[in-house]
Amino acid sequence: MSLKQSLSYITFLSLIFSTGCGSYSEFSSEATKDYSRAEMQKFAKYMVAGKQLYTTHCSNCHQESGQGLGKLYPPLAKSDFMMQNVNRTACLIKNGIKGEIIVNNITYNQEMPALEELTNLEVAEIATYIYNSWGNERGFVTVKEVETSLSNCQ
Amino acid sequence: MKIYFKTFIAIIFGVSLLGCDPAEKQNKNEEFPILGRKQFVERTVNGETVVDTIDHTIPDFRLVNQDSIWVTPKSFENKVYVADFFFTSCPTICPTMKKEMLRVYNAYKNNNSVAIISHTIDPKHDTVALLKDFAQRLDVEAPKWNFVTGNKEEIYELGQKGYMVTAMEDENEEGGYIHSGAFILVDKEKHVRGVYDGTNSNDVDRLIKDIDRLLATYNEPKTKS
Ligand code: HEC
Repeated sequence: MSLKQSLSYITFLSLIFSTGCGSYSEFSSEATKDYSRAEMQKFAKYMVAGKQLYTTHCSNCHQESGQGLGKLYPPLAKSDFMMQNVNRTACLIKNGIKGEIIVNNITYNQEMPALEELTNLEVAEIATYIYNSWGNERGFVTVKEVETSLSNCQ
Repeated sequence: MKIYFKTFIAIIFGVSLLGCDPAEKQNKNEEFPILGRKQFVERTVNGETVVDTIDHTIPDFRLVNQDSIWVTPKSFENKVYVADFFFTSCPTICPTMKKEMLRVYNAYKNNNSVAIISHTIDPKHDTVALLKDFAQRLDVEAPKWNFVTGNKEEIYELGQKGYMVTAMEDENEEGGYIHSGAFILVDKEKHVRGVYDGTNSNDVDRLIKDIDRLLATYNEPKTKS
């Protein structure tokens, strides 16, 4: 085998390993078990981008762990409020929210600021991340869903 | 070639050790300075002029806490305390600061020689009732942790001249204010002994160590007791 040949062989092998289903295992859950390879690949991309956006825009209040802080900032991990309604979540990520809300039987009442500069894709990435982390398993929140949600915000 | 290389590595390693060691030692024995600008005051004793050095001290203040109780320097008599500036609706660094301050609070929960004061820089919005709600939601209490409000100018001046941190309105800033994320450690004599980044957990670890160190200078027990 020439050097060139063996190099391309190695590249080929590593490609197989890096795109094989196995490498997405950290993102797979009950919700994603029927996803095709291509869907899984896209899902993983959203999760990675979503995490980064979450760290920048959300984690100071809701914490890295999604646990929130005391009774000031509500948890996103296993939040019944969030699970009830994805449309509402897309809207509040973009437009903020204020007034009393009840999350897992605790009343919160603090203003969450709007993030109007987020694109629909970014909202979808963040939503996908928070709906599939810390024990949440909802599966993909697509850009299409977000578009529909955002055009129907209250 | 190989041998040269090994010697080279060994030398580099050795030098780096040498380089670190004295610095580290210095760090350990580092004094605990009193921060801030000193004032020199001349006075005459028996016809001779002597110069007194006066350390920077926190000026008097009178603010009201979440329980509607006046907080003044007297409230911190015989205590070391940590001060910061924030506002309840702050979207940026304050939530992290509060999470970090909560660690300080919990470390000294049962130690009456340590207290905390968080000044709102948005007193118009942050009323006593709102601060009470905020404290309850964080599950903390005065007199250990005071959330204080009062005259806006007094708070800004106290921040700038007393604690030597930035705290002011700025409509260009997210949330409408600029303020530093600093935690300021003040000793029993009202001297500033340290300034820490309240958004950085390593720095807050250092603060907790310094509080222990400061308490030790008064021969007081530390965190755990
Ligand atoms: C400045 C602090 C802050 C930031 C930053 C922030 N939030 Fe919130 N968030 C809140 C508060 C406070 C509430 C509760 C609002 C209320 O009381 O009406 C909330 C509520 C929520 C809720 C609904 C309640 C729940 O727990 O299910 C979701 C979902 C949420 N935030 C997601 C996000 C996401 C995603 C981001 C980042 C894009 C974000 N938040 C950024 C403070 C914040």
